[in-house]
Amino acid sequence: MFLAQLKNELWKLFGKKRTYIGFGAFLLAQSLMLLAFKYTRWQGDFEKLLNGNGYLAAEFISVLTVSVVMLIPQIMLLMPLYATLIGGDLVAKEAEDGTLRMILLRPVSRLRLLFVKWMAGIIFAIVLVLMLGLTAMGFASLLFPWKGMFVFAPGQAFAVLSAQDGLVRFIFSLSFMAVNASVMVSVAFMFSCFNMKPSAATILALSLLFLSMVMENIPFFDRYDDWFITHHFKCWLLIFSDPAPWMQICQSEIVLFAVSATAFVIGAMAFQVRDIKS
Amino acid sequence: MIALRNVTKKFARRIAVDDLSLTVQRGEVFGLLGHNGAGKSTAIGMMLGQVWPTRGEVMVCGHNVQSSRRAALMPVGAIFEAPAFYDYLSGWRNLEIFSAYTAPTSKARIREVIEWVGLTGREQSKVGTYSHGMRSRLALAQALLPRPELLILDEPSDGLDPEGIHEMRQTILRLQRELGLTLLLSSHLLNEVEQLCTRFAVLRQGVKVFEGSVAEVKSALGKVALKTPDFAAASRLLLARGLITAAAEDRFITLAAGRSTAEVAQALVAAGMDVQGIWQHEQTVEDFYLGLIRRPREEKQ
Repeated sequence: MFLAQLKNELWKLFGKKRTYIGFGAFLLAQSLMLLAFKYTRWQGDFEKLLNGNGYLAAEFISVLTVSVVMLIPQIMLLMPLYATLIGGDLVAKEAEDGTLRMILLRPVSRLRLLFVKWMAGIIFAIVLVLMLGLTAMGFASLLFPWKGMFVFAPGQAFAVLSAQDGLVRFIFSLSFMAVNASVMVSVAFMFSCFNMKPSAATILALSLLFLSMVMENIPFFDRYDDWFITHHFKCWLLIFSDPAPWMQICQSEIVLFAVSATAFVIGAMAFQVRDIKS
Repeated sequence: MIALRNVTKKFARRIAVDDLSLTVQRGEVFGLLGHNGAGKSTAIGMMLGQVWPTRGEVMVCGHNVQSSRRAALMPVGAIFEAPAFYDYLSGWRNLEIFSAYTAPTSKARIREVIEWVGLTGREQSKVGTYSHGMRSRLALAQALLPRPELLILDEPSDGLDPEGIHEMRQTILRLQRELGLTLLLSSHLLNEVEQLCTRFAVLRQGVKVFEGSVAEVKSALGKVALKTPDFAAASRLLLARGLITAAAEDRFITLAAGRSTAEVAQALVAAGMDVQGIWQHEQTVEDFYLGLIRRPREEKQ
């Protein structure tokens, strides 16, 4: 029954037009950024930077390099917006529409219902990131060759990788991005379990992430970086450091998994005691 | 099938249902009657495990809803006044979604229910394109899918046109006749309860003020209608002779114990008064209900 329930939750999720807003926005942003990179000073500045550091720019302005360049602003700005939009809808939109009350006529426990919904949200996050990564590479491959990779990595100025090594790390980075998106969905899902409108759940989740990012960037809080969710989101770029700081990455991933699980538990507790009324 | 024992529900400081005890037996069509905000939907919400009681115990099909919700609701179907669906999905897909949260349901069963409610041919259309009547039928279909023994209907006729109301009532009677279901329906339509229910309870501001059968109410003895040119003089005479105990509304008298309408008529004719008519008044549920609802207002005044 769990699989049938999950399948139906995915039908509900992917049957809605608003689920595709994020996909559409990412496609539009990627195509615009690709054209901007190719046809403005952006590419020229990049080449100067590489040449100035003793690398042959022509060897590193590649599919992988341009993909990551396109992904950075999207992950920082668009991903939280669309992940929390869907997460905030998962329970609150159904409560608002009245379909939650219809589902709760059935002999299903609230915890089970929430778990199925949460899993559907996580699957959405993974699909969103996969689509984001694949389309970034697909778009970039239209205008750039398959060569080595150049990337700005946190903690070091930049990293230069071979095409093969770059691809492996790019795949890893996608999986870390999926974890980030899952955390964003989970936080919005948690708020969605309380008695509030879907937009309120989305705004609260975005506010929490924004607050974390602002505080993390205040020098006073430098020593407390580990306490901020957004600090751990940087894993997807850390993987491009040479050598990759695996211990730090693992710690961050564990923190992010714990945040997701905690958000689910808090949401479930709130939902369990809630009265569902028309 | 349903037993509420001293159930109270408070929303913050407001008491929505106060110390409600109620029993619905297998095979009954039970009505829950009350004005808007009387606590009918809250009581139904508690029966369905959607609203948690502040105090008391709710038993459905022999199981406590609070502690064994799954077991309690397994043989239960329900319909709300404004059934909500996933409008962007087909009727069929909606039924699949609802049945996935109950038990494995075959396509043949879904087809059978669709046929029963008369939605054949439209099951693959998006629910957003359905008329109000079709949505009501889809709501009935989702309620019937798990082969329920008990069907709970919260204001089933709300928002329907007269034709839709008639159709819904016929369906309710058909459900009872063909499927032998136990039905609990809430309504603020008095004639609906009178036509459909065998027993009913009346809620007033969250408090149960009556529980009994429709037949009981209708045959409430003692009230006799008397048509005479001078009702006041006639009632004075009858009171003086001890034939009646009360007169009301310029047309009703209450017979004294052991007295008959024939004796009353004879006494009036003997006193030279015209008797244009005298008959046992059959009380409607409406009269009874209004009496119950008005009583506290009159008492306050």
